[in-house]
Amino acid sequence: MTPFFLGTSQRRLFGIHTAAASCGGKPRAAVLCQPWGDEYIYAHRCMRQLAVRLSLCGFDTLRFDYFGTGDSAGEKGDTDAEGLRADVVTAIETLEDLAATDKVTLIGLRAGANVAADVAMRFATGMAAGFRAAIEALILWDPLRPLDGDALPGRTLTLVTQGMRPHELSILPQGSPAAVEFLPAPCPWIEEASTTGMLPIRVIQRIEEWLS
Amino acid sequence: MAELGERFKEQVALLGKDGSLVSIIARPAALRGDDRPAIVILNTGIIHRVGHHRMYVTLSRELAAAGHTVVRFDFSGIGDSGPVSDRMPPLASCLEQIKSVVDSLAQTYRVTRFVLIGLCSGADHAILYADDDERVVGLVLMDPTLPPTLRYYFHYVLQRLPHARNWLNFVTGRSGLLKMLAGHLTQRLRAPLNSSELAPQNLQFSPHLARCYRVAARRRVNMLAVFTRVSARHTYPQQILDAFPETGGGGRLRLEYFPESDHHFSPPQARARLFRAIADWVESI
Repeated sequence: MTPFFLGTSQRRLFGIHTAAASCGGKPRAAVLCQPWGDEYIYAHRCMRQLAVRLSLCGFDTLRFDYFGTGDSAGEKGDTDAEGLRADVVTAIETLEDLAATDKVTLIGLRAGANVAADVAMRFATGMAAGFRAAIEALILWDPLRPLDGDALPGRTLTLVTQGMRPHELSILPQGSPAAVEFLPAPCPWIEEASTTGMLPIRVIQRIEEWLS
Repeated sequence: MAELGERFKEQVALLGKDGSLVSIIARPAALRGDDRPAIVILNTGIIHRVGHHRMYVTLSRELAAAGHTVVRFDFSGIGDSGPVSDRMPPLASCLEQIKSVVDSLAQTYRVTRFVLIGLCSGADHAILYADDDERVVGLVLMDPTLPPTLRYYFHYVLQRLPHARNWLNFVTGRSGLLKMLAGHLTQRLRAPLNSSELAPQNLQFSPHLARCYRVAARRRVNMLAVFTRVSARHTYPQQILDAFPETGGGGRLRLEYFPESDHHFSPPQARARLFRAIADWVESI
């Protein structure tokens, strides 16, 4: 794992690149979009573990802190939706260079799922023109806000764990090509995840399986 | 905040014997010639170096802007740091890792004095480490482990007396107080005398913990003890003075009480007051 700062001096982001453990095949890459606030803190270990497991499957991964969060520059109040999307694009461009590929998978947890979906839709509709990269696949894990299923890229997987309450399920993409799967796994973004050290192994395994 | 951003610089560093401890070093943008202590911020439990509510990031940057070299890092196996293969017991390994970070800062930046900051288990690591390193001149101990005192039990009972449910539990033998007393008695009897047997769960009654506070007081280490609202660890702010009377001598201990705050300093106003208290105290060393 290589920790480093990426982005510009005006918008410096902290990131950790985990290189693919196996070489020889076609380079593959995944940007991990973190949750927000306390959920980011509690899910940190899970996101690290996901990065390690994906590296063993041949993926270069980059997980990063949005501007104004974690070890990145800026303050909490400096963050807005446009900025979050710009940070994901910065991470995609950085990982393209590190992994020498022009196809990137986006994996987002909670608020990170919504940001990842926003960015993927912009790439799909040409709103993010001018970039070399294409979004190869999108994984949305316990998203936080409603998703427009029709606008999501074709290769999208939505994963829902035990942490989603019944009234939250209406936010999931309806009647869209995006697969929605419910997994009886603990959610990694609540305080118990950090105090008990539990990891949603089934979710991580499902992500590996779906991407392979 | 843009103004604050111009007064410090941050860099990523891999510290520790095998370069596996992921660290962020914050330094003042303009270096001063004075001998300000460097500051080392320790993990709270298994929460990574950013801390609850990003408190260690903000604190690092404010202290760096005030002229200090500040490092926040992850112990091995926590946050982004990799595992170490030192085959040491976890607590001893943590203390060894603090030493490697302190050594690295001393060598790189020619710093001779250090302040350690920790909350909860971080506070315990700080006081235990200070026992063995005379370069440590200050400790910020937030909600450290303390042994219960007579007054602790008195407050504990007093807080529960008005609630009928507690009386019912007492009569039916389900009282938390009885369980706690039994637990404390067992822990006291099993408390390790040898520091190599120390673990977070048996620290409270360990003579070694008392010895560390005694040594710190004798070496005139400055201490800022911070307590949030009543918890299972303490029931009144002065408990540290009753538990370790030596710490009160010589005016080297400053006590700060945050009755409005939980253990994680969730209220923003409490965090702001905490940062001011730490900055003022560090300036006074």
